[in-house]
Amino acid sequence: MNRIIICTCQSTNLKWRRPAIVGFPWNSVARRCSDIAVTSKPCLGSDHLIASINLRSSLVLLSLFAAGCASNVIVEEPTIPKPHIDKLPMDVALRIPEEFNNFVHEENVLGRETWTINLGRANASFFEQLFGYMFENVIILGPDDNALDYKFDALVEPQIEGFEFSVPNQSKTDAFAVWIRYRMQIFDSVGNNASTWTVSAYGKSQKEGLGGTKSLQRAAVLAMRDAAALILLQMNKSTKISALADGPMDVSGLGSQQVADADAPEYSARPASIFAIGGIDDARE
Amino acid sequence: MLANRILTPILALALSGCVTARLEDEREETTGLLEGETVVVMAKSYHQGNETEADYIRCVEKALGSGKGALNVIPNQKFVDNLFPWFEPRTAPADTKGLDQLMARPGVPKAVKDMGVRYIVWLDGDTSRVTQGGSLSCAAGPGGGGCFGFAWWQDAAAYEASIWDLDDSEAAGTVTADFNGTSFLPALVVPIPLIARTQSKACNGLAKQLKLFIVSDEQV
Repeated sequence: MNRIIICTCQSTNLKWRRPAIVGFPWNSVARRCSDIAVTSKPCLGSDHLIASINLRSSLVLLSLFAAGCASNVIVEEPTIPKPHIDKLPMDVALRIPEEFNNFVHEENVLGRETWTINLGRANASFFEQLFGYMFENVIILGPDDNALDYKFDALVEPQIEGFEFSVPNQSKTDAFAVWIRYRMQIFDSVGNNASTWTVSAYGKSQKEGLGGTKSLQRAAVLAMRDAAALILLQMNKSTKISALADGPMDVSGLGSQQVADADAPEYSARPASIFAIGGIDDARE
Repeated sequence: MLANRILTPILALALSGCVTARLEDEREETTGLLEGETVVVMAKSYHQGNETEADYIRCVEKALGSGKGALNVIPNQKFVDNLFPWFEPRTAPADTKGLDQLMARPGVPKAVKDMGVRYIVWLDGDTSRVTQGGSLSCAAGPGGGGCFGFAWWQDAAAYEASIWDLDDSEAAGTVTADFNGTSFLPALVVPIPLIARTQSKACNGLAKQLKLFIVSDEQV
């Protein structure tokens, strides 16, 4: 535990009316609010007072320590390596939801640290790259684009159903971990809901350096890579998306609730549940 | 000047904690490395609960690729990227049974051949704090600062390296490293750290043994 000694002086002839910070841990830097204990003790004498320290510098120093209690992590757009898989010979439309262009997760950990994780366009970039490697032709649709204006075999609409992370304080290890739960809805060329698939991805990175910003960034990118590996290897098996290349699905025997409105595909995400680490939760409907 | 040259290493030796080491290997196949063949060092998947530190992997990579009997080492990340998605933590083969099937995947044999990878060294294990004790307190004031007390701690580094031969898709054997180090920190105004570099020694020890294991042509 680092200790800040606040030296207070009661001597009136020196005109000191407020405590001033005059000592700092000499061998380490405070990393959390809880690491700092404040001790008040009387001054030994006027010689020990450093008169140049005033309220302004004290406030600046205090604000520096306070800033250490909030961490802001900006995740850069990940690069998915070219995979060794055969592309599926079909035309797929990928609808990027608005939240994929500016996803920010904020969480207060144990009431002590506030973590803000800004994924920005990372998710949009991730899915664009991934689908480019998976399918022969990919059309990127924005949230406001009308799917009926385009021709495709299947439309995929990914969503973030859950985002969680853990820091070493919580896990009692030296690692940062990130869980991302994506939910993908797949529609055929006329708007029938062909399948819904949930992917739980996990990334873990050892703590390196004093802060955890870089480690958490890396854990988030590893979670996206984990999702990419799972989607590349399991998506067709779990959703039978390649079957849609032969034409829209036959819905004559299905209930009307399984037919989605292609004009206004507004889907309510299921409530996020507890993550299953590294698993496949196939919610095919 | 001369005194400095002599005194510095002596002081460095005197100011380090003690480390005990045990290295063992178990051979299953004949090994050897031809010119142009390379080695890659991987951590076993954290999906399976492995906690091997990233800096330990880097250290073993560096130690294998330098010094006496240096091997050609392909950086871990380059190997994983070039074989995406087959060596991700989720998808990497857990044993050699699936290697033949993996090597039959489109593009995989070519990527492996292009990098010249002959052996994959899978690392498992970690360094952990076994016990600690003592008491040390530091204080600083306007007149200066200082510490008083005595603290000690013991670290254990236990790692296992499994060597897979991609030529015949078989496990060539394992090398294990168990290192224990005790560090001391006495302080009388000025702290004097006597640090046992357990993980670093486990890295160098394991790498040295791996070099011997891989280049040796010993029969089973």
